[in-house]
Amino acid sequence: MITRLNHLADYIRSSGRRYRIAIAWAQDPNSIGAVLRAANEGFLEPVMLGRKQEIIKVCENLEIDYKGLNITESAGDYEACRRAVEMARSGETDIVMKGLVSTDRFLKAVMDKESGLMEPGAILSYVCALDIPAYRKLLFITDPAVIPFPDLEQKIAMIRYAIDMAGRFGIKRPRIALIGATEKVSRHFESSLDYAAICKMAERGQLPDCIIDGPVDIFLACDPESPGIKGVKTVLEGDADILLFPSIESCNPFYKGLMLFAGAELAGLIRGTFKPVVLMSRNESLLSKYYCMALACMMAETGNNQPQS
Amino acid sequence: MLKKLEDLKNIVANEPVKKLVLAPAHDQDSLGAVIKAASDGVITPVLIGDTEGIKQIAHENGYDITGLSIIHEPGIEASVELAVKMVSRREAEILMKGKVGTSTLLKCVLNKEWGLRTGKLLSHFALFEVETYHKLIAVTDVAMNIAPNLQEKIAIINNSISCMHKLGITNPKVAVLGAVEMVNESMEATLDAALLSKMNQRDQIKGCIIDGPLAFDNAVSIESAKHKGIKSEVAGDTDLLLMPDIEVGNVLYKSLVFFAKAKVASVILGAAAPIVLTSRSDSEQAKYDSILLASAASKK
Repeated sequence: MITRLNHLADYIRSSGRRYRIAIAWAQDPNSIGAVLRAANEGFLEPVMLGRKQEIIKVCENLEIDYKGLNITESAGDYEACRRAVEMARSGETDIVMKGLVSTDRFLKAVMDKESGLMEPGAILSYVCALDIPAYRKLLFITDPAVIPFPDLEQKIAMIRYAIDMAGRFGIKRPRIALIGATEKVSRHFESSLDYAAICKMAERGQLPDCIIDGPVDIFLACDPESPGIKGVKTVLEGDADILLFPSIESCNPFYKGLMLFAGAELAGLIRGTFKPVVLMSRNESLLSKYYCMALACMMAETGNNQPQS
Repeated sequence: MLKKLEDLKNIVANEPVKKLVLAPAHDQDSLGAVIKAASDGVITPVLIGDTEGIKQIAHENGYDITGLSIIHEPGIEASVELAVKMVSRREAEILMKGKVGTSTLLKCVLNKEWGLRTGKLLSHFALFEVETYHKLIAVTDVAMNIAPNLQEKIAIINNSISCMHKLGITNPKVAVLGAVEMVNESMEATLDAALLSKMNQRDQIKGCIIDGPLAFDNAVSIESAKHKGIKSEVAGDTDLLLMPDIEVGNVLYKSLVFFAKAKVASVILGAAAPIVLTSRSDSEQAKYDSILLASAASKK
């Protein structure tokens, strides 16, 4: 079982495989360092799609050796996105990554019904593995980036994605906490209504094998002493592997707070596609960006096919 | 464990005899059951209505009404008002509908000044004795609430639970009925069922064990539940079936009576006192058993 993100990187490095990654609009000072670190360590083979001169300039500014780098000239950002997606579709590359292009334009190419990378009928979402020094294992969270207010069906898709990703880290029966402000069900908190339905679905075998409860707050989810203190019976026992948040507005500040104040690092990935798609925030540390790539390699290795509903 | 409606007599026998007020009492359909219950010591009746009419019915049917308390009030609504006021003043513990329309009776019960309002939702509670089930099984709501929303379902469960506690069923197993035992977003009853289960787990509904959705078969048959691989404390051992709406409830009620030859007792809960509100089509036995249930349910 992989319990820390540096173990993930070790694992990918030791696999001896090189994964080809196409970076759309690659003249991106925010990601180029992480890409080249992974390339230098031997597990990543980048194809840089963008303005050649600018890519070289970025490398020079960052004092990175760009010799031997596969750089392909692209006329524009959207064309670079289309080309990157096409390369992944045709199997020329294993992974697609967003460079200096806007997320909207990048995802438009990814989600294109004919030429994109979506599994038929899949819901696009995002799962992130957080390495928090104060927590005894990795904590998977969803969705910090894609679905603003997931409905029941989207929440179920998010859970399936998170279970699938946790499974690749060797977690066979993950504990999933459905996060709310309190553990009570209330019609004032619409998410709590969905959570009740999800728990019952798990009980009735409608979800993949997992231990699930919610609504619970972060304490009940992650602090083994909290259920006793609060007098709440929960199967989670304060030992959650996965946190499902009711909205981006709750999930996004949660992980950013942990990164800024608690020294957390992350590895995150778009879900719903049949090839790994890397989409990172500029704020993320170089190390987290590097972990995102390691995660994409792991997903590529084990097949990025989404769990069937 | 209660296996037969007759077992309710054991509860009643250990309690002071409760006073039941029947209005209007000049009612061919209910008087007989009241008088039989009185002679069995289940209740002490107060008959409000047209004295002559009461005597005539008693004479024609051979009922012995000597020594029974009769209050002469020939007006239909006036007799009901008097009866409700008696219960409201705690001079009687059970209200029973006689020869009057349900709406008139309920209008009096819900009167803001002298009615029997408690702030709770009124709900219908039916208790069945079915030969093919190992204990009595309660069903709610088959007659009062048409399409209860979540809050109303909670109120209906709470009414039923507190009644069942009085019947000595300390931690009733509640099955929230659906067409299937799976959660299905397009079947609202299954979503409500999941919510009610979770609220029960979180102690937001206490004094019972709730599971749902359960389909009727897995609610009452452990074999069926096992066959479907359902892990549930409730499945196969249900004490109370919560209906998704009145249409399902009413059809189930009538199928149990007509096809399964079930015996049934029913009572309206949620008012200051249990209300016996049987219909003309109920058998004499059902009326008698309803009085018995009301008497047990009015246990302090």
